[in-house]
This record gives sequence, C-alpha cells and structure tokens, in this order.
Amino acid sequence: MENAAYIGLSRQMTLRRELDVVANNIANANTTGFKVEQLMVSEEVGQRARNDFVRPGVSFVLDNGLGRDFGQGALQQTGRPLDFGIEGEGAFFTVNDGNGPAYTRDGAFTTDPEGRLVTQAGLAVQSDGGDIILNPAIGAVSVAEDGTISQNGALVGRLSLARFETLSALSKDGDGLYRNRSNAEPIEATGIKIRQGSLEASNVNALMEITSLIEIQRAYESVSRMIENANDLSRRSVERLGRVN
Amino acid sequence: MRALRTAASGMSAQQLNVEVISNNIANMNTIGYKRQRAEFQDLMYQNVERMGAQSSSAGTVVPTGIQVGLGVKTGSVYRITEQGTPSRTDNRYDLAIDGKGYFQVTLPSGETAYTRAGNFSVSAEGTLVTEDGYAIEPAITVPQNIVDVTISKTGQVQVTTDGEAEPQVVGQLEIANFFNEAGLEAVGDNLLMETAASGPANVAAPGEPGFGQLLQGFTEASNVDAVSEISALIIAQRAYEMNSKVISTADSMMSVTSQIKN
Repeated sequence: MENAAYIGLSRQMTLRRELDVVANNIANANTTGFKVEQLMVSEEVGQRARNDFVRPGVSFVLDNGLGRDFGQGALQQTGRPLDFGIEGEGAFFTVNDGNGPAYTRDGAFTTDPEGRLVTQAGLAVQSDGGDIILNPAIGAVSVAEDGTISQNGALVGRLSLARFETLSALSKDGDGLYRNRSNAEPIEATGIKIRQGSLEASNVNALMEITSLIEIQRAYESVSRMIENANDLSRRSVERLGRVN
Repeated sequence: MRALRTAASGMSAQQLNVEVISNNIANMNTIGYKRQRAEFQDLMYQNVERMGAQSSSAGTVVPTGIQVGLGVKTGSVYRITEQGTPSRTDNRYDLAIDGKGYFQVTLPSGETAYTRAGNFSVSAEGTLVTEDGYAIEPAITVPQNIVDVTISKTGQVQVTTDGEAEPQVVGQLEIANFFNEAGLEAVGDNLLMETAASGPANVAAPGEPGFGQLLQGFTEASNVDAVSEISALIIAQRAYEMNSKVISTADSMMSVTSQIKN
C-alpha cells in the first residue's frame, strides 16, 4: 500500500542517525586523537506491500555499519614534555584500565603520586614490560622517535605501540579509548614516530562536516516532501473516487 | 534526536575552552603563572548494532556494527609547567627559579602553600615575605643595618652589614618538588596546594639534582604565548559556531517532520 511512505521513512531514519554521527564529529572537533566517523548506508531490497507480480520490488535504505577514518590528525606543539603524538596511521598507545589492554591515540599523559606514567583519566600507560615508572629526581624525561623513554641517559622502558591488521576490530569505549573486540592479536607498530611535546588533533574536517549537515538537511526535506506528495495522492484519490455521483 | 544533546555537549565544552583561554590571556603578565589547557575526550558510545552480533542463524556476524557517539566531555584542565622567561627587575629580593621547584609559603592558617612567584619583600621585622605578607619557609631574617643582600644560585642568603667587610650567612632557602606537579591545586594569589594526586613535597636546596637554581634580581614571567592563545581562541569560536549549526539543522529537520501532516 504505502510503499513510498515506508521507503521514505527508512531514509529519514538513517538520515537522523547520520545527523547524530555528524553532530558527534563536530562536538569532538577539538578532542585530542579523535577519528572522524561516518555512517554507512546500503540498499536493502524488501518485500513490497502489494501482491503484484508486474511491478519490480522496492528497495529500502539500511544503515549497516559505522566507518572510522583512522587518517593522521595534525600534530600540535604543546611544549609539555609528557605530551606524546603519534606520527603514522593505525598505531595506538596501550593502556591498562584493569579490564585488560585498551588503545588510544590521545598522548596527553601525566604522572600519578607513585611516578607512574598515566593518562589524564589515571590509567597506566604500558611499556613492553608493564607500567612505566618515572623518577622526577633524576631529571627530564625524553622520548625517542621509536618510543624509547629515558631519563638523563638512563633507560626507563619502551612504549608499547600496537597496530591491528583490521582496524574495524576496534570498538570505541568513550574517553578516547578503543577496545579490541575480536580475536585479532595486536602486532608491534613499526614505521611510526613518536613526537614528544606534541599532541595529535582530531582529523575532523570542518568543511566536510558542515557540507554533510547541509546534505542531510536537504535530503531530509526532500524525502518528507515525497512522503507528503504520496500522502496527497492517496488523499485526493479517496476524495475523487469515493464520490458517489 | 541525539544530535541536539550531542551538539549541546560540544557547545558547553567549547565554552569551557574559551574560559580557560581567557584566564590564560588575563594572566599573561602574572608572575610565575603557568598556562592551562583544556583536554577533551569523547563521551560514551551507544551501540545501536553491536559489532560481532550474529546477523543470521548460519552464524555470520556483523563486522563493524553501529556505534553512535553521544558528544564530548572535558577530560581535564591541566597546567603546562614549562619554564617561563626570567625577566630582569634588579630588585634584590626578587627570585626566579630556573628549572623545577616551588618556593614554600607559610599561610596564616599554618598550612604550607607553594608558588613560582618570587617577587618577595621584607617585613617590618626583617623577614622575607611574599606580596601578601606571608612568610617564606624556611624563614629568612635579615638584620636592619644591611648594605647589600646576595642570594646564591644554591639558595644561600648572605648579607653585608654597615661597617662589616665580610658578608655573613643568614640563612639557606629551600625549594619543594613534586612527583606530579600537574596534580597541585591552585588556590589563587599565585599559590598552589599539595594534594593526594601531587604526592608529598620533596624539599631540597636549589641546585640539587632534579631541582632548579635561583636567580636573584629576576622574576619568572608567565609562560603564556599570546599568539598560540589567540589562535586557540579562534579555533574554539569556530567549533562553537559549528555546533550551533548542528542544533539549527536538527531543529529544522524536526520542524519539517512536524509539518508533514496537514
């Protein structure tokens, strides 16, 4: 019966969700290490609501996944010795939040009262050999490009930098943390550089997001006009055909 | 519509960002001020379609899933304890710390506060005090008939008195250092307080390993960089505007929906 209305509704539902995703991208435009996200929609061939063999089937719109662009964000100089930025795509710092390893691109670290290197949320940053303990009495902390941390010439440890074969194995936990939900084991990240005194900005492109906003709004309006027209059509046919004389 | 609340969280985050930046700019000429930076994190995610969920009875699984983020939150506002430029004042009681460490100040309540602002003076009793008249710890008292005061890089205070050729040592200044400087709590008046996050103070003479040296006749300027603050302000303003566009888009989409039925 109301195929047009149902198809239009399926598109409007995905458009609303797309708006939610774009809103989250824009809200996180200044979030350290944030990666831009996009809703993926596809055609879903469905049963039409009429038993008519002559007409072709109808297609609905379905959102079937969320894609993340793990592209490099700009490195911003902060001049703070415990700010680390990763130069190179698809690699992550490993942190321990008590439920096993989590992964992050947000390298704004600090130390806790025991001198452990922790994230701003207090989660311990991992080296190849566990937690990283710094001693402020020794002197300044320096980090080599490959993640080796030393203090005044003495080796402290090497940051555990993880990489995944398929980045879609990672799901987001909030607080800038990714978690591995698949059986895929992280591999050691090579060919990347750690920049001390820099932080990776988000890779949100303001222009693209505002353009998406306009597209979403216009598409939503035209779909609702289509629903209105279909509604008009059936209203008028009821009025005309239902007339007795 | 989640988009409305998401954009509202973005606007309030940028508002806080502007507040932090404006405080930095306001304190550009405050002695010993350390600039602050707001650090944002994404808020929780709502799993609309959980990744790894079975999509058919044959055991196929959803590869990516749909996770919709719900906005942004402020992770922390932290101090960047980069060295400020020592600026020459030629005032003999002005001290700047070149390197790590904080002067210890005894508050009227008896508690100890910490500061990088070394623009000291002497009280009527000859004690070295801060601008607010709080005594420095360990207490340094200079005699009345002094000709000159010399404070060495390592904190030794020597005075030359009228009629005496040899300078005499009247005290030794000590500075405090912390495991986690960013964990100190700012209480205003250039003062910082020890917290559980900062760890206990390690006190030593200036120049010891891990501690800075003193510079007499200098004060430490703030480490606020006007150019980077202004560009941060522009970025914050644009981000705020973009979030407001999301709100107006969500609003007009809702009004389109409500106009369908007539």
